[in-house]
Amino acid sequence: MMVLETILYLIAYPPLWHVLIVGLLGAFFTAVVAIWFERKTAARVQRRIGPYWASPRLGGFLNLIADMIRYILQEVIIPRSVDRVPFVLAPVAAFVISIMPMAFVPLSPYEKFWPVPNMDYSLLLALAISTVPPLMSIIGGWASNNKFSIIGSIRESYVITAYELIFVISLLSAAATYTSLNLLTIVNAQSPIAWLLFLNPIAFLAAFLAVLMSTSAFPFEIPESEHEVVGGPYTEYSGILYALNMGGAYVRRFIYAVIMSLVFLGGWAPYVPPADGPLFAIIIPSLIVAIKAVILVLIMSFLRAVYGRYRLDQALDSAWRLVLPMALIGLGWGIVLGLIL
Amino acid sequence: MPPRAVTKSVRKTGGLFDGVKSNVEALIIGVKYFIDPKRMTMFYPKEYLEHRPGYRGFIVLKKEVCISCAACARICPSAAMKMVRVSEVDPKEPAKQRQKQYPVINYQRCIFCGYCVDVCPVEALYHLPFHDVTYESLGDMFLTLDLFQKEPLRPVEKEGVPVVYEVDETLGLVKRERKGGG
Repeated sequence: MMVLETILYLIAYPPLWHVLIVGLLGAFFTAVVAIWFERKTAARVQRRIGPYWASPRLGGFLNLIADMIRYILQEVIIPRSVDRVPFVLAPVAAFVISIMPMAFVPLSPYEKFWPVPNMDYSLLLALAISTVPPLMSIIGGWASNNKFSIIGSIRESYVITAYELIFVISLLSAAATYTSLNLLTIVNAQSPIAWLLFLNPIAFLAAFLAVLMSTSAFPFEIPESEHEVVGGPYTEYSGILYALNMGGAYVRRFIYAVIMSLVFLGGWAPYVPPADGPLFAIIIPSLIVAIKAVILVLIMSFLRAVYGRYRLDQALDSAWRLVLPMALIGLGWGIVLGLIL
Repeated sequence: MPPRAVTKSVRKTGGLFDGVKSNVEALIIGVKYFIDPKRMTMFYPKEYLEHRPGYRGFIVLKKEVCISCAACARICPSAAMKMVRVSEVDPKEPAKQRQKQYPVINYQRCIFCGYCVDVCPVEALYHLPFHDVTYESLGDMFLTLDLFQKEPLRPVEKEGVPVVYEVDETLGLVKRERKGGG
């Protein structure tokens, strides 16, 4: 049993577990599953079948694996007119930075399983880091030296200005309720079932819409709309760099969903982790958090089946006139909740 | 009288909350179809489309009926049909050979318009109700006179089930299995 325990401790070594296993592998897995789910759901709602012949029993899931292998093996074409260094670095940096918030969120209530020694400002840090990756796609679009990418980047920057405030305000409503920026306090206060999803649904909805906007999920797939600006900021990318860009959106969606499931869905809430051993103290609670996040991501994927694409002005209009007031109402209700609780 | 500019006052319909309402309706329809999908995709090699009579598919020649008028070759809009001259035994005088022209077809060019079948005065050409036949090389698509008289095999008929699409009042097109021997 000592060997098993040691292996579990090695796996649960906090930086490895948080950033690489839950962050990278979880996001990777979620990206593949979410893309597959998105295609199958859109097909189901639109009376089609979707991916099928690659593996009829798995519902065409291997099709996605084949796509991934193709992206990895494809030739990366770097046009002569681009600014090489930022062109190559931007998608890589965006991908890496979008996983970084995982280092600052608690997936276990015990201090020895945290990658950072202190969780006092974890909500603020995670939010702050999660706002960086969209800037990288602007840099990549600008470095591409292509009119479509520049138009896409400008659209991206418009959308950033619209959603970022909404996202931060609606998540800070939780901080206002529990008068703490410590994610652990927020999670513990929601246990077992007093989740902020039920207590403050308006803030949750605003945060949900902001995540949709930020990761260009379907009603707001404005920066890279294929019909208008070929690939948006990613027009000139090919091969693995394009896969990093495209998968990066899904990775960011997963990371945002992890933050949201900690703040609004109570983290590992119905489960109370005991202090013994890494299996019960960190692996099971983080799996619960990841499952909640995956469910959120799948709900976001479902919207592709229903919606067309909003125009830029419609999206900005609804963001500033509908969702921002919603986020402010959520913040106000959060303060009221803090006074009541 | 010169045209006058008239300002029409169009009442602004719908505010933000009408948008919310229609979004919710769209989501409900999406969830309804997600729970109960009414799919119409055809699983092609396992199912194949049974075309209605009169479908303009592959063209076959009845050589004994043909009168060599060349109307089919002349009307062909994509110049897919040509006449070839063959020498054969004259059925009236078996001792003699005679020269006669027959049409052959190049399926690389054919657009399946069916003009040749329509124009034929003796109905020596007829359509088959399908055109999903493959050839191994482009050269095989130039049919010789012998091949042009044979009906090509349709491989999908051996392994597949025939289906038909019908118009449903609420759903639009729906896929049904063909009933009976149709």
